[in-house]
Amino acid sequence: MVRFDRVTVRYDGKAIIEDVSFEIALRDKVVFYGKSGSGKTTILTTILGAHIPVEGTVYFDGEALNAINILRVRRSVSYIGQEPVLGAEKILDAILLPFTFKVNRDKAPKEDRIVELLERLHLSRDILNKDASVVSGGEKQRVAIVRELLQNKEIFLVDELTSALDRESKGAVLDLFRDSSYTLVSVSHDPEWYGICNRFLQVDGGRLVRSSDHPDKTYL
Amino acid sequence: METMDIKLLSMLIVYGLLAIPVALSFFFRLGNLKEIVIAVLRMTGQLAVMGFYLDFMFRLQNAWINFGWVLLMIAIANFSVNKNAGLKTRHFFAVLFAGLTIGSFSVLAVFVFLAVRPVPFYNARYLIPISGMIIGNCMRANVISLERFYSSIRKNEKEFMTYLLMGATLREATLPYLREAIKPALAPTIATMATLGLVSLPGMMTGQILGGSSPLVAIKYQIAVMIAIFSGIIVSCVINIFFSMRIAFNEYQVLKRELFRGK
Repeated sequence: MVRFDRVTVRYDGKAIIEDVSFEIALRDKVVFYGKSGSGKTTILTTILGAHIPVEGTVYFDGEALNAINILRVRRSVSYIGQEPVLGAEKILDAILLPFTFKVNRDKAPKEDRIVELLERLHLSRDILNKDASVVSGGEKQRVAIVRELLQNKEIFLVDELTSALDRESKGAVLDLFRDSSYTLVSVSHDPEWYGICNRFLQVDGGRLVRSSDHPDKTYL
Repeated sequence: METMDIKLLSMLIVYGLLAIPVALSFFFRLGNLKEIVIAVLRMTGQLAVMGFYLDFMFRLQNAWINFGWVLLMIAIANFSVNKNAGLKTRHFFAVLFAGLTIGSFSVLAVFVFLAVRPVPFYNARYLIPISGMIIGNCMRANVISLERFYSSIRKNEKEFMTYLLMGATLREATLPYLREAIKPALAPTIATMATLGLVSLPGMMTGQILGGSSPLVAIKYQIAVMIAIFSGIIVSCVINIFFSMRIAFNEYQVLKRELFRGK
């Protein structure tokens, strides 16, 4: 599904990721781990065309990423950042934001479906009328997850998704992504998150240094 | 009715009025004496050159020279737009030149060639001052709209990327910033139109009345000029945002920060 072939990304002349190669298949549950600032998030966002590699090629479904297919890639993949941007004043408007764009306009979800997903992630219906500025970081993360789930995508790129969640909410999120139908490409420092992943790619200084079915024990 | 000329001696008396601001500046130690002197000298020099040049152009009445002058005004305005909106001139000059030219000429064509209909159609007496007003106002508005547009995308890059990653097209993802950019660019002209005649008599109308025109003719010109300026501003601002977007974003719709001053 996603393949990096010797990819290097630079910013202001400095390599953020260097000579990175890996392949992720559909329904894999992958986590990139390693020290802060090692380039994990850049790997994730490069899949979505947020950076153009100076060397190497990113492939999606066997096709090299280019100006034409990038829109299709973005429309088939969900991305949830560490501090998700809700992009609207009210939570309900934030949840419906993707459906204001032409590509999703005829797919707007029914309220019942929104509430069902909110409840699954331990959020009450009342949150829909709240101001985005008053909800906590953990609630924001869960609202962002609901918004992505409503788009019926099956590939999730997530960055430190459990960082602001309490124990109970984290359990609900872990249960959700444990679902085998989802492909998960994640960045995390959380050993509990590692429990739902089956591939572990260690990043250090912008380079991929280890690929295994378990994380390096110093990160547990 | 001919305008009464101001004799050289009378001009000197008018310059004598400057003794008041100079004295007050000195008295209160405002520290701007040098600026006042430089500004007055520059104004005198620039307008003297302009006066002789316009006088020469009015007598020559050459279509090439007249339109060449308009294009030169657009080019100078374009340098100012690039610099003050924080864009690197060598990347944006060509597209913004096209945008300013289309914006200015579209309203200029309606105003000069369809409404006023001077003979000949390139009559410098109409073409040059009216173009100057339209281009000058487009320039100010474009500085505001382009600066706001790109600075709000840079400031809200995560939000902008979120839109893109939700499947928005570049146009959809930039729409909130376009709205934020165009509104303040139009606001001064809307405010001016709403208070015109109440707060002050506009310069052009005053000039025409002093020049011997009937106030009723002068107001028609003023209304036409304000509408032309307002239309020119919105056309040039929208065109320039769309034209510049072709340069400012890479093929993955990500902003090329290196094309902006002090990125």
